[in-house]
Amino acid sequence: MQEFEPKIVAFVCNWCTYAGADLTGTSRIKYSANVKIIRFPCTGRIDFMILMKAFENGADGIIVSGCHPNDCHYSTGNFHARRRWIVLRNLLNFAGIETDRIQFSWVSAAEGFKWADVVNNTVAAIKEIGPYENYRKIAVSTLFNEEGASNE
Amino acid sequence: MNDLIKKVTQLLDDKTINVFIGYGQGTASRIRTIFVKNSSQVENLVYTSDCTANLAGYLLKHEVKKIGKLGILANDSALRSMMQLASEFQIKDGEVYVLHAAKDGSFTEFADFQSIEAYLVTIDTGITSDEQERIAKLEAMTVKERWIFWNKEFEKCIKCYACRAACPMCYCHRCTTDVNQPQWIPVASHEQGNLDYHLMRAMHLAGRCVNCGECANACPMDIPLNLLTYQLIAPIRTTFDATAGMKADAVYALSTFKPDDKENFII
Amino acid sequence: MSRIGVFVCHCGENISATVDCEKVARISGELKGVEFSADYKYMCSDPGQTMLKDAIREHKLDGVVVAACSPRMHEPTFRNACAEAGLNPYLCEMSNIREHCSWVHPKSDLTTDKAESLVRVMVEKVKKNKALNSIKVPVTRTALVIGGGVAGIQAALDIANCGHKVVMVEKLPSIGGHMSQLSETFPTLDCSQCILTPRMVEVAQHPNITLYTYAEVESVDGFIGNFKVKVRKKSKSLDEHLCTGCGLCTTKCPQKKIPNEFERGLGFRPAIYVPFPQAVPNKPVIDRENCTYYIKGKCKVCEIVCPTKAIRFDQEDEIVEVDCGAIVLATGFDVLKPDFFPEYGYGKYKDVIDGLQFERLASASGPTQGMIRRPSDGEIPKKIVFVACAGSRDPAKGIEYCSKICCMYTAKHAMLYKHKVHDGTPYVFYMDIRAGGKNYEEFVRRAIVEDETHYVRGRVSTIYEKNGKLIVKGVDTLMGAQPVEIEADMVVLATAGVANKGSEELAQTVHVSYDAHKFFAEAHPKLKPVETNTAGIFLAGACQAPKDIPESVAAASGAAVKVAALFSNDLLTREPLIAVVNRQAPPVYSSCVGCFLCQSVCPYQAIEREEIKNRNGEVIRTLAKVNEGLCQGCGTCVALCRTKAIDIYGYSNQQVYSEIMALLND
Repeated sequence: MQEFEPKIVAFVCNWCTYAGADLTGTSRIKYSANVKIIRFPCTGRIDFMILMKAFENGADGIIVSGCHPNDCHYSTGNFHARRRWIVLRNLLNFAGIETDRIQFSWVSAAEGFKWADVVNNTVAAIKEIGPYENYRKIAVSTLFNEEGASNE
Repeated sequence: MNDLIKKVTQLLDDKTINVFIGYGQGTASRIRTIFVKNSSQVENLVYTSDCTANLAGYLLKHEVKKIGKLGILANDSALRSMMQLASEFQIKDGEVYVLHAAKDGSFTEFADFQSIEAYLVTIDTGITSDEQERIAKLEAMTVKERWIFWNKEFEKCIKCYACRAACPMCYCHRCTTDVNQPQWIPVASHEQGNLDYHLMRAMHLAGRCVNCGECANACPMDIPLNLLTYQLIAPIRTTFDATAGMKADAVYALSTFKPDDKENFII
Repeated sequence: MSRIGVFVCHCGENISATVDCEKVARISGELKGVEFSADYKYMCSDPGQTMLKDAIREHKLDGVVVAACSPRMHEPTFRNACAEAGLNPYLCEMSNIREHCSWVHPKSDLTTDKAESLVRVMVEKVKKNKALNSIKVPVTRTALVIGGGVAGIQAALDIANCGHKVVMVEKLPSIGGHMSQLSETFPTLDCSQCILTPRMVEVAQHPNITLYTYAEVESVDGFIGNFKVKVRKKSKSLDEHLCTGCGLCTTKCPQKKIPNEFERGLGFRPAIYVPFPQAVPNKPVIDRENCTYYIKGKCKVCEIVCPTKAIRFDQEDEIVEVDCGAIVLATGFDVLKPDFFPEYGYGKYKDVIDGLQFERLASASGPTQGMIRRPSDGEIPKKIVFVACAGSRDPAKGIEYCSKICCMYTAKHAMLYKHKVHDGTPYVFYMDIRAGGKNYEEFVRRAIVEDETHYVRGRVSTIYEKNGKLIVKGVDTLMGAQPVEIEADMVVLATAGVANKGSEELAQTVHVSYDAHKFFAEAHPKLKPVETNTAGIFLAGACQAPKDIPESVAAASGAAVKVAALFSNDLLTREPLIAVVNRQAPPVYSSCVGCFLCQSVCPYQAIEREEIKNRNGEVIRTLAKVNEGLCQGCGTCVALCRTKAIDIYGYSNQQVYSEIMALLND
């Protein structure tokens, strides 16, 4: 049987984590290819709906990462984001969504090594947990509903 | 009761208000909301122990607003909704005539937001012990069990949006659900669309919900929707020291921050 | 239907060593909406860019994706190239297949697959991109400098010398600030007034500088390049044009026993007064609270003696409107108030004074003509205890920070005392000696070695009076926490530097943020030390944090350069990647419901209220509106907006949504 290769999306801010991931590249530090990055100006821009859409479209794991507190390029975006995540994690957990599939982190533009670690550890953790069947199941049944019963 | 009728008659007669939002007798011994526009309709007002609905939501409905100056019979929840609405610039101090119906059946006039705020700090604004128990029971489950629980509940949802219509805080002219570029929430009432809709709604009410329970009361499918937002009240209070609907000039818990907000999950 | 061009760069072998670039180009070419695709050795090279430009023209491309290095590296390069070929630069996006792909993964199909999906993501994003034009804002080339201390003076002169107009607002009757109160300055011991007063005069005489003293900022509207400021010129009860500054009125005023603020209460002044002899402008003001005429309704001695008839008792405050393009805040600092130290007897014993009072005692133009005499009886003190960190670095007192200047001025005080009173004995209680700075450590050493100052490492617990002496009790932590008791004739407290009174209100008026100690907050602690989070408003000097003179001057010059750079063009050009609140035709107007929860998340105060009025002029809706001069494009408001009424160019909801869909649905 083929090893499970999780799909992981990373939502990162432009100024710290995106630059940190650039440094990982410049330093030629290797990490797993399962993670793909989508760039945002700031973690403050990352709408919780975006995380829901990621799971819905087949992500097994999500990384959300930005500047360390007090380092935000826009001074306070990450503080607002942090509050939002605190509430969101509570809600998702209560709604039965596996919050251990979402890794939140602060990775600065200087932390090329940390970015590689965050990615590799998240990939390893998600491999351990397995594919996000639960969420995918309802997404698939949705697809089925939308495309009609002709497939049967 | 006579006090209420006398007061509302006087308010309508001297044109202090053009319409009074109160409770009336509905069909099959049910209580419904009535809009009293002149003294001849005042006799339709009732006030019994069944009159528990939060009427504040009507304050923002276009059809009601256009009648003119509003008066409202407000219970504790309605007062809190009004404070929250005021903090979101939806109503202004002095704009609405507020007659407060206390749990003991007495009526008090609140002249301004300040007196409402002063009253609100004296009462218990928490959720009921029954609600607490139901949340605790859910919290004691595993994530997978909760997933199954909510899936079963959401499966029933027919996307009638009664919850949205009943909620005093759902006053957006265009809900995220109605946005189609991009289509954040699938329109159909299938599992995915229902899950997305209810999570979105709960998140948008986090820190704004005044636990009036109108959403769950309105739900024709008996989905315990209120638990989703009620569950967030405690963490928001303990982590951010914020409670919705207590002050007319409060800053929304999620549009502010403290540099030392505590969390334990960001690496 | 889109006509997108995809250009895959090999970056020599940096990408092609692990990614099959030809395959990426080929597969990308098959994507819906992709009109043209190619791969090339070096896309950023001249031939590479020429290829890109030719393809745009030849294939009439309406979108470009360059799959190469990080956009943080070459996004401007390729956007410029697009612009040169006639394609709006904001229709060009980059896929980062080098830093985020080829350099971090081994050569394999998986790596090529990842590169393909990164290109696919950007192709989908570009389909939703909008042509944008950079924002141009006209600039009013006048700077407002608030505060006329050494920082404000430096900033004003630097800006004025660049050829720009400056309006300086000072709340006191004279400019000069705290520096004009100082006797001599560390580490050179040159006379403060000798170096400062020529600068003060230069400000008054500079053709580009308009000076409003005895004035305060009332309100600030507008945004970078276009501020509208209301300045309240408090009534001086004087026609300044007629007044020659002869000073006759100040000598004849019957009120003579008003504590002199400039002398920190160690001297007196009349009700009509010039704060100090070298004041700029050197014209008096009437202190109405203490003037006999304003209290009792009669006196008018000044009016009678004035040779030019310049006194105006009925003069009212005047509001002046200033249009300016930039604002420099240079409002300085204050020192802790006496009631902060009940244990030190400050305010209770006359001979316990603060550092600024000591400056006045040591000043040749001060109340004692530079003789060190104690305030209680005018005797020359034989033993002075200097207490460093009076309030500073004391979390229990609410001031965790180091006031930074006290170590140096305490050493200077000990030195000045020793130079004036040769048989005197100075003691200094200190926590640590912080003497970082050019010639600073050497200066402190001189105080200890040459001027024989006794430095005691430890804190003072209490000070009380006994038999005409001040008993200072403390410990010497270098002697095993041994208790120390000194019978002193005078005690000088190096009180903590704190934010100026009213700084919180001023910050709110000007719309800048401030820290927990009410000092104004810089935009970035390292890279933007003189900028604030409000574009066009800059900081100079100790209003940001305690600073010494060289630091204040350096910050002021820094702020001045920022202003000069802003004024170097007629139009201010800004990236158009900003938030926008949607507008629709009536009766909808916008999906914004006016909850303004976005307003408090905005770090830049960029969200304004727009009132929509009907034909009768009645307000029917109040909507959020983004000020494009202020918005910096963080997008925090976008994520918070429940109705999705706010969106952000460059990272719009549609773009982001398309990216996720493309990334996950391969």
